[in-house]
Amino acid sequence: MGGRVNQQLARYVPALLLALLLLGPILALLVRWLSSSDDIPLLAFINAGTLLLVGKSLLLSCIVAVLASLMGTICGFLLYRLKFPFRGFYKILLLLPLLVPPYIFAVAWKDGFQWLFSNSTVINPELGMIIVHTLVLFPLAMLITGTALSQIHSGLEEAGLMRVSFRKMLVKIVLPLIRPALTISFLLILIISLSDFSVPAFFGVNNFTTEIFTQFSAFYNHQLAISQSFLLVILCLILLLSENRYLSDAPFFSVHVKGSSTKHYSVHKGKTILHILLWILLLVVLVLPLVMLLHQALSGREILFSRAWELLSPTIYQSAKLAFLGALLISAIGFWVAFMKERSHFPHLNTMLLLTFIIPSTVLGVAVIKFYNHPSTNFIYTSILILLITYVSRFGFIAARIIGNGIKQVPVSLDEVSRVIGIPPIKRFFSISIPLLLPAIFTAFVLSFVLCLGELGTTIMIYPPGTELMPVKIFTIGANAPLALTSSMTLISFGVTMIFILLFFLMGKLIFKRFRYE
Amino acid sequence: MNKISLEHITHRYGDNKVLEDFSFSFEEAKTTCMIGPSGCGKTSILRLISGLEAPQKGIIKINETVATENEKILIRPHKRKIGFVFQDLALWPHFTVFRNIAFGLKGRKTEKVSHQVTQILNLFGIADKAKKYPHQLSGGQKQMVAIARSLVHQPEIFLMDEPLANIDVKVKENILAHIKLLQQEFRFTMLYVTHDHQEAMQTGDKILVMNEGVIEAAGTKKEIENSSNHFVRSFIKL
Repeated sequence: MGGRVNQQLARYVPALLLALLLLGPILALLVRWLSSSDDIPLLAFINAGTLLLVGKSLLLSCIVAVLASLMGTICGFLLYRLKFPFRGFYKILLLLPLLVPPYIFAVAWKDGFQWLFSNSTVINPELGMIIVHTLVLFPLAMLITGTALSQIHSGLEEAGLMRVSFRKMLVKIVLPLIRPALTISFLLILIISLSDFSVPAFFGVNNFTTEIFTQFSAFYNHQLAISQSFLLVILCLILLLSENRYLSDAPFFSVHVKGSSTKHYSVHKGKTILHILLWILLLVVLVLPLVMLLHQALSGREILFSRAWELLSPTIYQSAKLAFLGALLISAIGFWVAFMKERSHFPHLNTMLLLTFIIPSTVLGVAVIKFYNHPSTNFIYTSILILLITYVSRFGFIAARIIGNGIKQVPVSLDEVSRVIGIPPIKRFFSISIPLLLPAIFTAFVLSFVLCLGELGTTIMIYPPGTELMPVKIFTIGANAPLALTSSMTLISFGVTMIFILLFFLMGKLIFKRFRYE
Repeated sequence: MNKISLEHITHRYGDNKVLEDFSFSFEEAKTTCMIGPSGCGKTSILRLISGLEAPQKGIIKINETVATENEKILIRPHKRKIGFVFQDLALWPHFTVFRNIAFGLKGRKTEKVSHQVTQILNLFGIADKAKKYPHQLSGGQKQMVAIARSLVHQPEIFLMDEPLANIDVKVKENILAHIKLLQQEFRFTMLYVTHDHQEAMQTGDKILVMNEGVIEAAGTKKEIENSSNHFVRSFIKL
């Protein structure tokens, strides 16, 4: 009896604490919004202008989601299901934009427009945002649909090919089978695009996230910012509720993909065209932004580059340290949440992380400030704890999904057999669960690290005094500095990110080699 | 003497009732084969006996001691002296064959563990595979390792959930002969779940024919062959 109570306490107390830390700010924001209508009607802020802004934000993100999902699905099929040389090479390079903070690409493309037309405003800011978001987010769709495509058993396709043409089989069999993956990639991209602050801010797009930031930080109109925040939260909740079944159980990208039973199609005639197409894509996605960034950075003379280094170097260590701590915390919480969902049938924490994940960055910033800016929680508000809590809110769901997917692929019987033998739970956890899930945990860690490293939307609103972080520095300096200086700083930031990615790649190779079991 | 008794067991997964007022006793040191179509509750019985699951209603006794009562597991799985070979074998992919077998033998002297593992590996004729990982073994070898891992603990009850499905007849016969020899030596009670009625007839001292969570017939090979039950006759094609 006592043991059962202790077990329940061990489950619920940390869960409640996590809910208080992550969900508290959002609930408090809701209460504040509902109780602040003494002299202002509750829905006074919902006017034509606001609704137009909502519509514009949604439309832009929808366009991004459609384009990125389409590109990602095509690339997913080409790279995961066709057999041709250098497939792995293209796959790795095309995934890179996902690991680089989006603002780097925003600066690069802005530089590109400046370079091409001698005026960066010649291009419509909204179009700029669509281009950058699409190019940065399509690898996510590629990864998700690629994973789904790799899990289709060859027999299903071969049975179809016995009766209909390849094209018809693709449309009638493969596409319906990967429909959940297509839905989740569309929704994820929609939510990420809707939530992102950095790209619209760098392009000067007036959408919901930038408007909330302006109202809150520039005009100090907290009431309006809160009301607008809530409109966006409601919008995201509608998205969540309508497609919850897809988001909660749909396939996610996996590091455990077993493609042994998957059919790979050989490319004969179109091999050259395929390589040309993929090189064009690589050029647009990766090479061109880098060249544009380099050109703009070097055009500002050497002195600007050294000034950029001078400004940015103190922030590198702090950013990396914070991203490391954030990633560590996110992976640990993600593991716990995923384990609770998959093995203890306790999905509520996962739902909570999903809720905090869909809250747009600047809305989360407003909520966190309003909740923690209190004498009793000042130790959180004035320290890096506030950033760590925010990082978990923003990216915990992604880590939980990656690890959860890993857990799903480890048979329960591996744990049960050790229970029958009598292995104690702690030993079971460290000897069986952790080694089997290490690739998934490592992937979640790396992704969380790069996401934390590039986070701008919330960080810019809440970073505590004495903390200097790379993206915030670039954004604040970039507002009043020559473009060349911003480009130089962005280039340094890109270099730093790439060094970390390379380090993780080498570490990952070791881990995957040691802990991958075919 | 009865080794395991199941009394009025009702068990369900959600809305799906798997066992309905099921009662049966398994004799000590005998092999009972359970056959029946998919979903008839064979695996559930093994999981209930092992203590991995608890029924909604009913009592499970092991050695005349109540091990599970209704939804309460009174004796935890590892205290039941059970060896369980799962359908998917559940070999830990990150451990070598040696470590897979030695893993449960904790807290004992290294030399003793090593001796025990080597002995059982020799018994199954797979001593040369000790340093291999599960993915480096053939289907039959994997099955041998899974069985060896369960038997190294010298269980009193040995549960096998269709572990010999999908392997060729010769290997299957070889493994079953090994198990029979070991059973004669260690006198464990064996519950063997299978789809294959011929295998059940060959292996079991007693055969239990199940359908939709209830017993259609139980008895020796001869008794089953003489059964007038329509389901039994059609299922085992008499």
